Amino acid sequence: MVSEGLSHAVLPGLVTAFIILQDYDSPLLLIAAATSGLLMVWFTQLLQRTRMLYNDAILGIVFAGMFSVGILIVSSNLRNTHFHADCIIDGNLALAPLDRLIWHGVDLGPRAWNLMLGMFVVVVGFISICFKELKLMSFDQILARQFKLHPRFLQFMWLAIGSLTTVAAFEVAGSILIVALMIAPPAAAYLLTDNLARLLFIAAAIASVSAVGGFYLSAGLDVSPTGPIASFAGFVFLLVLAFAPKRGLIAVSIRQMRQRVAVSDCLVLDLVERQALSVDGLDDFAVKVCMPVRECQNALRRLQQRSWIEDRDGQYQLTSVGRNHLSDSLRGFGVEWAVAKT
Amino acid sequence: MMWDGLFTDYTARVVIAGSAMIGAVSGALGCFAYLRRQSLIGDVVSHASLLGIVLAFWIGYLVSGEGNKSLWILVPGAIAAGVGSLLLTKLITGRTRIKEDAGLGLMLAVFFGTGMMLLRWLQRSRPPIPGRAGLEDYLFGMAAAITQDDLWMIALLAVVSFAALILCWSRLKILTFDPVYMAGIGLPVRRLEALMLCLLVVGIVIGLQIVGVVLTVALLIAPASAARQWTRHLGPMVTLGAAIGSISAASGALVSATFDHLPTGPCIVVILNAVFVVSLLFAPRRGLLYRRKKRFVN
Repeated sequence: MVSEGLSHAVLPGLVTAFIILQDYDSPLLLIAAATSGLLMVWFTQLLQRTRMLYNDAILGIVFAGMFSVGILIVSSNLRNTHFHADCIIDGNLALAPLDRLIWHGVDLGPRAWNLMLGMFVVVVGFISICFKELKLMSFDQILARQFKLHPRFLQFMWLAIGSLTTVAAFEVAGSILIVALMIAPPAAAYLLTDNLARLLFIAAAIASVSAVGGFYLSAGLDVSPTGPIASFAGFVFLLVLAFAPKRGLIAVSIRQMRQRVAVSDCLVLDLVERQALSVDGLDDFAVKVCMPVRECQNALRRLQQRSWIEDRDGQYQLTSVGRNHLSDSLRGFGVEWAVAKT
Repeated sequence: MMWDGLFTDYTARVVIAGSAMIGAVSGALGCFAYLRRQSLIGDVVSHASLLGIVLAFWIGYLVSGEGNKSLWILVPGAIAAGVGSLLLTKLITGRTRIKEDAGLGLMLAVFFGTGMMLLRWLQRSRPPIPGRAGLEDYLFGMAAAITQDDLWMIALLAVVSFAALILCWSRLKILTFDPVYMAGIGLPVRRLEALMLCLLVVGIVIGLQIVGVVLTVALLIAPASAARQWTRHLGPMVTLGAAIGSISAASGALVSATFDHLPTGPCIVVILNAVFVVSLLFAPRRGLLYRRKKRFVN
C-alpha cells in the first residue's frame, strides 16, 4: 500500500516543476517528482514520531492531501495543457511512442522506452548484485544485522529504487497501473513457487504478459491502455488463484475434502473398533463421533466397499485389513494405537 | 463567480445541504474506521466502488435505454462493488498465504483499473449513451451535480446510518475497543462486525459524489484524526468528527462552486487537512504545542 501512496504523492512535485519550467521533457521533472515522493515519506515519519495517530490513518491523510494539492494545481493552472486531471490516473501510454528521444540528431526511440530501459537495467543490476543480501534482509533482519550487511541502508536503497521506478513509470502509466503491476504479479507468483529467485522471474513474466495482453484488450475496446492492463493483471491473478497447483483454491479445497474423508474414515473405524455398532444404532453413533448422520452413512458405506469393516449379524466389525489401516493412519497422525485387540 | 445565472440560490442550497449531510455521515462513521484501524479498507472500498458505479450506470442504460446518473441507481451498485471487493479480499487472505495488505492493494488496483477501463469505454462507445457526460466526475467529486432527487437518497442513507449508530451504540463501542470481551459475554460479534462493515461501506459510498473515489478515504479518516486530538471519549469524538466533516464538506463545496471547473474533492481534502494540522498542533492535552509547553515548564 505504500507504493499506492507514493504513486499519488509524486503529483504535486511533478506539476509544480512543470509550471516553473514549462517544459515537458526536462529531467528536472523526474527529480521534482522524486523529491515530492521523499517529502511524503518525510511527512509520514514526522507524523509517526508524534505518536498521536495510527500509521494507516497517517498514510491516508498524507497521500490524499498531497494528491489533492496536485489536482488543485492542475485544474486551476493547467487546464489546457498536457497535464489533465484524467491523465494523471490514466497516464498517456498511447501517446508514448510519439515522444521521441533525439540525441545529436539520432532518433533513439521513444523517450519513455529509453527511460524504462534505464530503470530496467538499474533494477536488474541492483537485484543481481545484492541478491543474497536482499534475500537475507527480507527473511531475517536480525541475522542480516549480525552479518554487518547494514539492513537499514539496503532497505533505504530498496525504497529509493522502488520510488524511482514509480516516478519513472508514473508519467507513462498513470497511478493505478503502477500499483496493479507492483502487487498483482508478485502475489500470483507467490502462489506458484516457494523459491525467491523463481518468484522474481515468474512475477516479471506475469507482469509482461499482463502488460501485452492488456494492451491488446485496450486496442480492442479503443480506450487508454492503463485500465485494461490493471484489469488483465487482476484476471491473471484470479486464474492463478483458482488453478495454482498447490495453493490454488481448487487444489486447496480438493486437499481439504480428501483430508476430511480420511479423518472421518479414521474416526468411524476407531469408534467401531472400540464400541460395537449395530446396524440400526446409527443416529446414536453419529452423535458419538460428532458427525452428521449423512456423512456417517457415507463413511460406513465407503469402508464396507473397501471391506475394511463387515456386517456380522447386524453388528459392524473391523476386518484385519481395516485394523491394519487404522493403526497405520493413526501412526500417520502421530498417535500410537494402543488398544491391541486380537 | 458562478452564482449569477448558472446557479440559482435554490441549487446552491441543495448542494450545500447535501455536502453537509454527507460530511456528517462520513465523519461520524469514519471515527469507527479510524479507531478500528481500517482506513486502508476504506481506501479499497472507495476505489472499488468506481466499478460498481460504472456498471450500475451501464445496466441502467441497458434496461431503460437512457443513461441515468441518479444516486438511486448508482449507490446500490457502489455498495455491491465495495462489499464484493471486501469479500474477495477475505477469500484471498483467508484461503491462501497472501497477506492482508497485499490482498487489499490487489483488489484496489484491479477493481479500480477495471472500473476505469469500463468508464473510458462507455465514454467512447458508439452510439453515445445519453447522460454519460459527468460520470467521470466521480473520480474527483463534483458537489454541484447533486440534485434534489439525490438529496433524498443522501438523507435516507444518513438517517439509516445514524439510527444504526444510536440503536447499537453501546455494542458498537465494545466492538471497537474490545471485541474479545464482547465474544466473552456472548454477544454476536460476527453479526455486529458485518453491521459495522456495512456502515463503513455506506459512509464511503455516500461521500463519492462530493469527494470522488480517489480521495474518499480522506473524508472518512481526516475528521476522525482531527477529532481524536480534542477528546478522549467516543461520544464527543463522533459528534466532533461529524461536525468537522460537515463543515469542511460544505465549505469545500462552496469553494469549488465559486471557482470555475475546480473539482470538489481536492478542495474538501485540503480544508480537512488544514483542520487536522490545526488540531494536531493546538488541541489541549494532546496537542504538540501543549506538550512542548508542558515539557518546557517541567
